[in-house]
Amino acid sequence: MRNVILRGLCGAAAVGVVTVIAAAVATPGDAASVGQPVVLDTKAPPASLGQLKALYRRPGAIPFPKDNPYTTEKAALGKKLYFDTRLSAANLLSCASCHSPAYGWGDGQAKGVGHNMKPLARRSPTIVNAAFGEIFMWDGRAGSLEEQALGPIRADVEMNLPIEKLLEKLEAIPEYKPLFRAAFPKEGMSPDTIAKAIATYERTVVSGRAPFDAWIEGDEKAIPEEAKRGFVLFNGKAACANCHSGWNLTDDSFHDIGLSDTDIGRGKFLPAVVKMQHAFKTPGLREITRRGPYMHDGSVASLEGVMDHYINGGVERPSRSEMMRPVNLSPQEKADLIAFMKTLTSEMGPTTIPVLPR
Amino acid sequence: MKLMTIALVVAFAGGSIAAFSAEHSIMQKGKTFSESNVTLKKGDSLLFVNDDTIHHNILSTTPGSEFNLGSQAPGASTPVTFNKAGEITVLCAIHPRMKLAVTVNE
Repeated sequence: MRNVILRGLCGAAAVGVVTVIAAAVATPGDAASVGQPVVLDTKAPPASLGQLKALYRRPGAIPFPKDNPYTTEKAALGKKLYFDTRLSAANLLSCASCHSPAYGWGDGQAKGVGHNMKPLARRSPTIVNAAFGEIFMWDGRAGSLEEQALGPIRADVEMNLPIEKLLEKLEAIPEYKPLFRAAFPKEGMSPDTIAKAIATYERTVVSGRAPFDAWIEGDEKAIPEEAKRGFVLFNGKAACANCHSGWNLTDDSFHDIGLSDTDIGRGKFLPAVVKMQHAFKTPGLREITRRGPYMHDGSVASLEGVMDHYINGGVERPSRSEMMRPVNLSPQEKADLIAFMKTLTSEMGPTTIPVLPR
Repeated sequence: MKLMTIALVVAFAGGSIAAFSAEHSIMQKGKTFSESNVTLKKGDSLLFVNDDTIHHNILSTTPGSEFNLGSQAPGASTPVTFNKAGEITVLCAIHPRMKLAVTVNE
């Protein structure tokens, strides 16, 4: 359980004492253990494998912050806002345009597309499992999901709608009024409540139970043998779990993995920290087969290409993570790792698009 | 791993960095601070020891007690003196799950 104050480098604090909905049927490797790098001998005895698997057990409940607890009314309002294109200046883009359930809650493109169809600088990240995130955006500039929610709406290159104009537009839609009253009886419509509603809906977007989860919970037939070998490689020789750790397969940390673009990522906010130049947040790997192309710049089309990048180790420079180093993997080991990653995709059902207020 | 003490002279609001005056050591192995919270008296120091295998960053954005130690290499240790009473959140900006709540009493 987290009981810490979350603060972005340039944003307001959000209190992260968690509350939960749904009965907690299992406790995941908690926050302290999720971030631990684990190196496992490929010939490790079953007891060690069991301990390792325990770190990947999915949580039984979604965490919601104390200052924005879950309500059905808030999530329902948030869903309408999330899918509403009127949250953009041109009435063409909604949150779902770039973070669509059709593409694993991303957009399936190498780079996002913003206002006037102009390409954005980075790939649209998924919102899957954002409820479990520590810090948001590729460069970590948002300290909470609430803080993140309004960013793309007002960004001139994205949805291009200043907050005062957003309020003006939403206030002119009569059917939104009772929804805000139901979700926020004391506050009504405001930038704060718009952000809280969207963030609440986003927190409900959680990856489904995947074959990997069934295996973690003891069903040996849930995934093929090559995927099991891939899991051991992932945590051992290939050292992927140094960063892609825990049930959501991320450490929520920032690393330069040696991609050759000129984007300095988190380095913009931390110019004095060498290791933050060209550094981006580790993405989780749930639903990964639905989320290509890959990397913050969308420069790698396939999981095979991702493997090749890590095998080569990327561009060598002072900022490159110490954990990035060439690794010699055989074709079979590559295939095993990819087989493992494929077990992280669930059978996601359809997402219902809401009828929007008029 | 041999620890190397680095003496830095950095001034920041509410605190200063002073070599060899730390009373409490905070370790960072496995991307985790060895303590989640610590209580100090005004003028006490913490010695941030990077006993991990990767670089870390020690940072506070708490108003009045801001500081940023930049890149801290494996093996390095850096003392920080807290000269202003209050609640201060220290984190690693590279690994934001690393958080330390520092209470500084008068």
